[in-house]
Amino acid sequence: MTGARRALAEALEAVRIALGALAGHRLRSALTTLGIVIGVTTVIAIVAIIQGLNRSFEAQVQVLGAHTLYVDKWKWLNLSGDWWQYRNRRPIGQPELQAILRESRLAVAAAPSTWSRATVARGDRELTSVAVNGTSSEYLAANGGAVRAGRFLVEGDAELARPSAVLGTDVVDQLFPGTEPEAVVGQRILVSGKPFQVVGLMEKRGRFLGMALDNNVLVPYTTFRQLFGARRSISIAVAAAPGKLGELEDELTSILRRVRRVPPDRPDDFTLNRQEQFLKVYQGLTGALYGVAVGVGLITLVVGGIGIMNIMLVSVHERTREIGVRRALGARRSTILVQFLVESAVVAALGGALGTGLGLAAAQLVALATPLAAAVTPSAVALGLGFSAVTGLAFGSWPAWRAARLDPVEALRWE
Amino acid sequence: MISPTPEAPLLALAGITRLYQVGSETVRALDEVSFEVRRGEWLAVVGQSGSGKSTLMNILGCLDTPTAGTYRIDGRDVRGLEDHELADLRNRAIGFVFQTFQLLPRSTALANVELPLVYRGVPRRERRARAEGALRSVGLADRMHHRPNELSGGQRQRVAIARALVGEPALLLADEPTGNLDSATGDEIVRLFGELHQRGHTIILVTHEPRLAARCPRAIRLMDGHIVADGAGREVAALGGPQAVTA
Repeated sequence: MTGARRALAEALEAVRIALGALAGHRLRSALTTLGIVIGVTTVIAIVAIIQGLNRSFEAQVQVLGAHTLYVDKWKWLNLSGDWWQYRNRRPIGQPELQAILRESRLAVAAAPSTWSRATVARGDRELTSVAVNGTSSEYLAANGGAVRAGRFLVEGDAELARPSAVLGTDVVDQLFPGTEPEAVVGQRILVSGKPFQVVGLMEKRGRFLGMALDNNVLVPYTTFRQLFGARRSISIAVAAAPGKLGELEDELTSILRRVRRVPPDRPDDFTLNRQEQFLKVYQGLTGALYGVAVGVGLITLVVGGIGIMNIMLVSVHERTREIGVRRALGARRSTILVQFLVESAVVAALGGALGTGLGLAAAQLVALATPLAAAVTPSAVALGLGFSAVTGLAFGSWPAWRAARLDPVEALRWE
Repeated sequence: MISPTPEAPLLALAGITRLYQVGSETVRALDEVSFEVRRGEWLAVVGQSGSGKSTLMNILGCLDTPTAGTYRIDGRDVRGLEDHELADLRNRAIGFVFQTFQLLPRSTALANVELPLVYRGVPRRERRARAEGALRSVGLADRMHHRPNELSGGQRQRVAIARALVGEPALLLADEPTGNLDSATGDEIVRLFGELHQRGHTIILVTHEPRLAARCPRAIRLMDGHIVADGAGREVAALGGPQAVTA
């Protein structure tokens, strides 16, 4: 009881003394903490920018769907030199899609996707290089996305190879400027010179890695084949029930190996791509950047910490008599130790607070002046303050220990 | 705490010896010093510099421990106490008054006086009330919020005395308390000690001035680490006169 009260009184006294000592040497304190300020500013700014980038990237990758596997001939983001292996693979086509739809028990939806650049026109308005995408009614369930007006493709569209089209918002804006969405449904357009009827409009999806996702036209895959040919390889988006992605991967592998007659001693001749691959490559890149930032920050903090240690040694030396007086009046060694530890932690934490503020401001400036994003996360702020206070404690411990070890008789006699 | 019988001495020193190692030589600062101090006594310790009186003061104040011998405060042997136990003992049993006042320069008179109570864990409000009381009792009711550099030498020493008194210690230990004051102010401080003695405080005054020792009811003279006289202050001080000249 009195022990706790005494400890509390001593801690408060220590903070009071620390603030008093800092106020007594404003310039010195400011210079001392400058190293910490610079270190924390750097780290916070870099971390805020990287976290901002991460967030915007993750938001973009979300359009690929977290629960979806993409059956492809090619591996996404393949940076190694074995591209010819992928090139020589047999195309993926209808047999694979039919097998998945028929046999998979874990797939919630499976939609084919094949695409080509084409010209889309209405009257005298003509758009070149629009992504025309051949798919099925399960596209929304497999890939995500939503319809803003009208309807999506239905099974009948594919069965009868109808000339039905669902338009992305960029296409709508350019072909039907100022027209109400409902009024666009039912209109006729030309895709690669063939007439199509608009049956629905997609919600806006934004951009992914700099590519516009809304400059597209979705048509039934059967109609697409008539228009652009049947020989091209398709990609199949397969959505798993939540938490079943890993099992789905195993199941699809065995279905596809059987359909494609891959001998047991041969590797897969197809790839199951997923969203995570983008995140992994990306995180690998920013992880290295993180490492550099943290390394630079740590070095600066160490330099700042040495500055604090230096000034605390001076402070202990100057206040030798004060330490003697306090010891004579009943301060224990631990009391003196805590007093000086608190003082160095307070100097460092003030520097850390200032550095955090400056770092966040710098990140916001960068975000305003460049396309880079910046995110202010509580963890970054806690990191800045925590790191600097720990630096203060670590580098203040030796001076504080020296203060605590002073002999009271010697200290009182010190001139 | 042990509750002592009225006759039991407040301080009891028996065979106190303190050795220092200075290079290869062993210095015997105190050699088999024994005496007792009763509750309520006002005692001067006199001697030339090098006589061992500073060493004695440090041991009496629990800032230092003897090499040999026993020192009991209120019946409690201080030998073998841990550093933090000595700190607590200083906090509760001893009130220090120093020659150079030893006030914290950036703190007000009130904050300086509160300090011993901070280290005792006394709640803030009570601490403040007791510090104000102590400052009033030394005649500084109107100087509580002044910093040391805004006070005269005599006032500073009064603050220091208030700080020594605030924790109601068993012993007031003053080291040359008038050494940095002019004679008129010094006399005031000595009168204040007289009043405190009248109020029942136990006071030990360490000084090299026979004039000061003469005003104490009892004095002990140290020389080369030995007690050479122990008696009425006036007599011991008079003894010191010629010796001081020859030394």
